[in-house]
Amino acid sequence: MRTALGWAFALIAALVMSVPQAAPAAEVSAARIQGAAGEPQNWLTYGGGYSSQRYSALTQITPANVKGLKSQWVLQDNVIGVWQSNPLVVDGVMYVTQRPNDVIALDAKTGKVFWQYRYTTSPDAKVCCGSNNRGVAMLGDTLYMGTLDAHVVAIDARTGTKLWDKALADLNLGYSITMVPLVVKDKIVVGLGGGEFGIRGFITALDPKTGDEKWKFYTIPGPGEPGHDTWRETDWEHGGGSAWVTGSYDPSLNLIYWGIGNPGPDWNAAQRPGDNLYTDSVVALDADTGKLKWHYQFTPNDNYDYDSVQVPVLADIAWQGKPAKVMLWANRNGNFYVLDRATGKFLLGAPFVKVNWMSGFDANGRPIQTPQPTGAATYPGNQGGTNWFPPAFNPKTGLFYVSAWENYGSIYRREQATYEPGKVFGGGGQSVVSPAPGTPTPGIGRKSLINNWTSETGNGAVLAIDPQSGKRAWTFPQFDVTEAGLLTTASGLVFTGGREGYVYALDAKTGKELWKAHLGGQINMAPITYAIDGKQYVSVIAGRTLVTFSLDN
Amino acid sequence: MLCGGLAVLAAVSGRAIAQVEDHGYSAADIQAGFKIYSAQCQLCHGPNGDQIAGINLSRQRFKRVVSDDDIKATVSSGIVSAGMPAFRFQPAELNSIVAFIRSGFDTSGTPFKLGDAARGKAVFEGKGGCTACHAPQGEGRFNAPSLSAVGAARQPVEIQRYILEPNKAMLPLNRPVSITLKDGRTLKGRRLNEDSYSVQLRDETLRLHSIAKADIKSYELGKTSNMPSYAGKLSDTELADLLGYLTSLKGS
Repeated sequence: MRTALGWAFALIAALVMSVPQAAPAAEVSAARIQGAAGEPQNWLTYGGGYSSQRYSALTQITPANVKGLKSQWVLQDNVIGVWQSNPLVVDGVMYVTQRPNDVIALDAKTGKVFWQYRYTTSPDAKVCCGSNNRGVAMLGDTLYMGTLDAHVVAIDARTGTKLWDKALADLNLGYSITMVPLVVKDKIVVGLGGGEFGIRGFITALDPKTGDEKWKFYTIPGPGEPGHDTWRETDWEHGGGSAWVTGSYDPSLNLIYWGIGNPGPDWNAAQRPGDNLYTDSVVALDADTGKLKWHYQFTPNDNYDYDSVQVPVLADIAWQGKPAKVMLWANRNGNFYVLDRATGKFLLGAPFVKVNWMSGFDANGRPIQTPQPTGAATYPGNQGGTNWFPPAFNPKTGLFYVSAWENYGSIYRREQATYEPGKVFGGGGQSVVSPAPGTPTPGIGRKSLINNWTSETGNGAVLAIDPQSGKRAWTFPQFDVTEAGLLTTASGLVFTGGREGYVYALDAKTGKELWKAHLGGQINMAPITYAIDGKQYVSVIAGRTLVTFSLDN
Repeated sequence: MLCGGLAVLAAVSGRAIAQVEDHGYSAADIQAGFKIYSAQCQLCHGPNGDQIAGINLSRQRFKRVVSDDDIKATVSSGIVSAGMPAFRFQPAELNSIVAFIRSGFDTSGTPFKLGDAARGKAVFEGKGGCTACHAPQGEGRFNAPSLSAVGAARQPVEIQRYILEPNKAMLPLNRPVSITLKDGRTLKGRRLNEDSYSVQLRDETLRLHSIAKADIKSYELGKTSNMPSYAGKLSDTELADLLGYLTSLKGS
């Protein structure tokens, strides 16, 4: 018979067991990245592993005790503009970037900084939507960062010194990098931004030691390549197709999956007749060669700037009674998709917010488009039903979680655009549906301390979507719109935030709010979780602060 | 003395020209500027020009710009630290961008006339009865906003719309709010800010309240402005004079 003390020891042992001990600092090998799910004390890649599920096996923080979370440390920095970085945590060290291209290494337990690296970004760098950087990737003892002026920089993770620096494209043409590179085996895979400047987008794989190009996949096929005939004459040359968000990787299929951005010009589809492949698509590429294995296009001949720059979420689930390797995707165009990730076959498509640009799908999963009359509202609006902020998938609940914009529409204006190198290639513009002229409306990021719009211009929500039906399992509404990504845990929690400056823990099954803290600044990235010395932490960036929480002892 | 006199004359005649020539910016320039703005500037600055913190182009709120030449210089050189690239426009294109910004993003072509400010002041204080609610400084009765810098904050066409169609022109934030609390109290006033859990308002006596939504029984945002419409109540000349007066109020 156990004594009370014995029970207490057993309980402590169980708690400690549930959090793996921090391993001594070691190189981040490709094998470690592939097995990231098995070391949940670390956060080794942008999406928390190759499947990009942002699912953690850590269970110390539970629905029952989450109310006890306390702020442990805060990193406050001089970030002007929204801070979208996704920290990595490797054996107790956190690596986080800040605008425009600084890297900070710090003790993930105390927030004390080890070193800071500053990259001098060219003053000629062009970005459409802010000097954003979403973080670093790591392989061995080296960190890899894309820069606003379209370079990739390799940095020694121990010293913060630069190892090499490679320009990937001409910044004067509007190329840039804001995404986090994806390490796949012995390659650093990078996608370029610049879809608003009439670039010809590409994804490229680099040698980690030298930065030399190993392969390159143009997202807009050139003459002689399959898909080239979806462009008229020379339209492809400035067809856009940026790749500004990190992809995913399936080692069992050796395929890399990547979401591709909008065609150029953004808003005038009539100027570029054809499907405009591979814009607004997901592409599956051979990891060794970069050759296209399959593609699925979400929005052919896009008229609305519906970039498909969401993170491909890979899941192994039962589909119609059989085990299946699928890809889950809540698209900017307002639809939730399930695709067979081995073949690209369309399995399911269903709107997750109000959609009126299309009325349904044909047998092949091609949308039946229903363009709205000139001056009428199109739903979802220009920023989309969701956007780049990463979703999450919890294998235990079987639910897919995403931050969405609801009741948000745009009225588009179409104009003939003339391509000029390095200038915006937009083809018109849009205004958000609102009750009176001059009404403040949501755009990219909150710019003021005051929320001065109403639900009539749209609102945010966290949605839990059941992939089996495409229907909502629950909705957690927010008054303001949200650009917060998601984190989910094996203990049944969903962590997220929003523009209002709250970080939330929700019940993963029901969406019930279990805990919140007000951090006073908008949350523009997903929270992450990790553990050191048996204690689980949750980190979130809000405004200009990175706040790390844990339970008290 | 002669020099000083000339300078004053130039300033006065400059203003007069600006008034008759649509602030010196032609409709064609404004329209051309609109196109350039849509194509090159809107992505960052937003459809209303207010998407960058601290800047509201259509309301003439800038961080470092004062003159038209400042706008041109900023556009041409960019602001690297803020992520704004340098744009290489022709002089005519720069003029168009300035015109569009200075017009307050008015693409409607709504006609308006600016009359005599002194006579307008008389309308404001006399026949219009505006001072019953609008205080010279600060908020007046019914939370009526101060108009002491309305000429800097709003464009003439906008001010005209407020005078003639206050209900249509009322921004959601200005809607009169009426909140009944679970404890039976009712608060009426103007909503200042709101999030998922609370709403901040200023009541009709100008006191500030922050109310938890959990404590609210009913919450109504009225669609009728407290301000009456002056359509048909003022002559064309009186309206023009009133507009002339209000646009001259630029704060201290």
